[in-house]
Amino acid sequence: MGSLFDGYYSVAYDEMFAANGAPHPHTKALFDALQLLSGSDLEERVAVIDRSMRDQGITFSRAGQEWIFPLDLVPRLIPTVEWTLIEAGVIQRVRALEAFLADIYGPRTVLADGIVPHSLVSSSTAFHRAAAGLEPANGVRIHIAGIDLVRDAEGVLRVLEDNLRVPSGISYVVENRRTMARVFPGLFLEQRVQPVAGHVALFLAALRAAAPAGVEDPTVVLLTPGVYNSAYFEHAFLGRKMGIELVEGRDLFCRDNVLYMRTTSGERRVHVLYRRVDDDYLDPVHFRSESVVGCPGVLNAARAGNVTIANAVGNGVADDKLTYTYVPALIEYYLGEQPLLPNVPTYRLDDPDVMHDCLGRLDELVLKPVNGSGGYGLLIGPAATEEELAATRAEVLANPRGWIAQEVIMLSTSPSLDGDRLAARHVDLRPFAINDGSQIRVLPGGLTRVALREGSLVVNSSQGGGSKDTWVLTSSPARKGEPSVVRPLPAPTVKAKAPDLGPRSDQPQQQQQGQGSC
Amino acid sequence: MTWRIAVRHRTGYHYSSAVRASYNEARMTPTSNRGQQTLESRLDITPAARPLRYLDYWGTAVDAFDVHVAHTELVVTASSVVETAGALDPVQGVGWDTVTTAYVVDHYAELLAPSRYVSFEPEVETAGLALAAEHPPAEAGLAAVAWAHEQLGYERGRTSVHTTSAEARVAGKGVCQDYTHLALAILRALGLPARYVSGYLYPITGSTTSSVGTTTIGESHAWVEFWAGDWVAADPTSLVAVAERHIVVARGRDYADVRPLSGVYHGPPAESLGVKVELTRLR
Repeated sequence: MGSLFDGYYSVAYDEMFAANGAPHPHTKALFDALQLLSGSDLEERVAVIDRSMRDQGITFSRAGQEWIFPLDLVPRLIPTVEWTLIEAGVIQRVRALEAFLADIYGPRTVLADGIVPHSLVSSSTAFHRAAAGLEPANGVRIHIAGIDLVRDAEGVLRVLEDNLRVPSGISYVVENRRTMARVFPGLFLEQRVQPVAGHVALFLAALRAAAPAGVEDPTVVLLTPGVYNSAYFEHAFLGRKMGIELVEGRDLFCRDNVLYMRTTSGERRVHVLYRRVDDDYLDPVHFRSESVVGCPGVLNAARAGNVTIANAVGNGVADDKLTYTYVPALIEYYLGEQPLLPNVPTYRLDDPDVMHDCLGRLDELVLKPVNGSGGYGLLIGPAATEEELAATRAEVLANPRGWIAQEVIMLSTSPSLDGDRLAARHVDLRPFAINDGSQIRVLPGGLTRVALREGSLVVNSSQGGGSKDTWVLTSSPARKGEPSVVRPLPAPTVKAKAPDLGPRSDQPQQQQQGQGSC
Repeated sequence: MTWRIAVRHRTGYHYSSAVRASYNEARMTPTSNRGQQTLESRLDITPAARPLRYLDYWGTAVDAFDVHVAHTELVVTASSVVETAGALDPVQGVGWDTVTTAYVVDHYAELLAPSRYVSFEPEVETAGLALAAEHPPAEAGLAAVAWAHEQLGYERGRTSVHTTSAEARVAGKGVCQDYTHLALAILRALGLPARYVSGYLYPITGSTTSSVGTTTIGESHAWVEFWAGDWVAADPTSLVAVAERHIVVARGRDYADVRPLSGVYHGPPAESLGVKVELTRLR
């Protein structure tokens, strides 16, 4: 029987193996454990994962159908020292972007000082004049951010994009860990992995901290567009885990610029609205008047200081892909610091010279629509057909402000299951940052997305990607009083070099699950 | 010379059956800037509501209110006393080199671009560029406003509140809103930042003397301001000088930014109660 790694080959920087073919020091223990498994062991565990995901209904919708968001069973490991950099870099970025938003919707000094052009803001479809002058209760506009990172061929982590509107994925982080603890209980024994189960509680604490001044026990609700939304699983998950009401637009109303929800026991005031509805649909008084998934009057209720909208309305102007090109300058302008995490080399096409340069080598670049998300409309030059190149060229010529061009980043790879073998598949990483007004915290872990198709560089769930459990390793022992990650029951039979036999029946799984506070 | 004018602006909606929830914004309070002073203002809403007042992105005073009692009629009356600016000093004309610097083009980007009701059309651009070739900016702007005036005949009922400048130009008819949108189109086409001004016009009658103390029926009015080194105001509907008879309420890219009363409600189709504006010159 061959090893799972037979024939393993990466064209990029690999998250598990160094260039000489040996595992990185921090992945050695995982590599050793995987070495002892066979393809059939893995198949069995895949079956457990599938069943588990299906049972829990961990799905998203794509093209009108429900899909399981596939969890790849090989975790992605991040060593302590690297996590320290990611943490500091993400915090720095969020601080600068918070400052930018407060400025753009307030005094606009960044425009007066010529750091970014007025037209960057006024031509952004995500800049909402209706949010001008609106000051959030504790000064926070980015209650939660998802900062997408990729690693290039040299091993450098770079920011690919910022997500400051309604970033999704935190539910998968928590659920992936739970599933992995069931499927690979033994793996956690040999590693010190930072827990993720507390993420949701931290987020709830940040939402509560954003309540209008003087409210001691705020009511927080989650506004969902409804069961047909692609991320409905996450909405239901977060509502349940945070113990807050999951509401739809018709459950809410404003009176005298105060927000209420209708309950069976009468109306109840809402202090913090965690909305998973896009700006354009949130308030028909200011945005699309035909929207039925929002709540009329809620923006003015926020303006009156009676409710806090999380994330704030108009954040999109700061995660616009054109604004992205200015983020390093914003970090320097607001913080007086150099960016800890560099951008991917990016070109603005509104400069005619740059545009012609880029159009001349379109087949070497990635073209992204400025206002797109989820990988829609993306052109990967080297993989595109002549027709696709021509179509994008025409679109760029018609609307240069609508596009940016980036150098192709050969995303790093991580071993992922392909049939009964492990093969190199490209990955990214979305760490989540939570801002409660006094501190920005980066949740240890984050969502590693993996392009499950061989050679694909598109990791979006809406484009056929999957995810991996992301382990931030820690060198310090688990804190006193906290149970170790997963304690085997009964006494450990899994020794350092013995194969991890994994689950055989439901009962021990359930017991381990009961213990597993990871 | 400035005038002091009392304004009473009444508008609203009638519904065929009861409406129980309505959310609205009123932009009906005159501004205090560029020489104009609003001395008093109040807003009366029937059924009664408690408005939130704020200044929007454009500096316009907005009253946001919601109504939750069953009603078949919503009436909003804004009353104010305003000291008007009078004619501003003529602008010290600057050259095209100043108006077309990268700084100016960027600073006023949103007032140079087409907007919801201000269309860019080749015909308008051609006319605009011809004026720009003949005149320095301030004169070209006034000539552009005159051009817009010539394209349309004043006629009510031919256009609606949602008519674009292109549609009005084809129709050849319109009201002050259409004249203003068409003037904005040519001003922006020739490279002058230009904004929509919403307000009132004290009617021009034969004699201008001793109108003090009399109340006349005015109208909701619109005109333009364009930037040629400083802001220049012009009235494309009548081509009268913008002076002490003009009362500014709101400014924006086009009508969509200055709607006097807007909102959403649950209920049957609404019928507008129309607009009644009474203007009394106090001194």
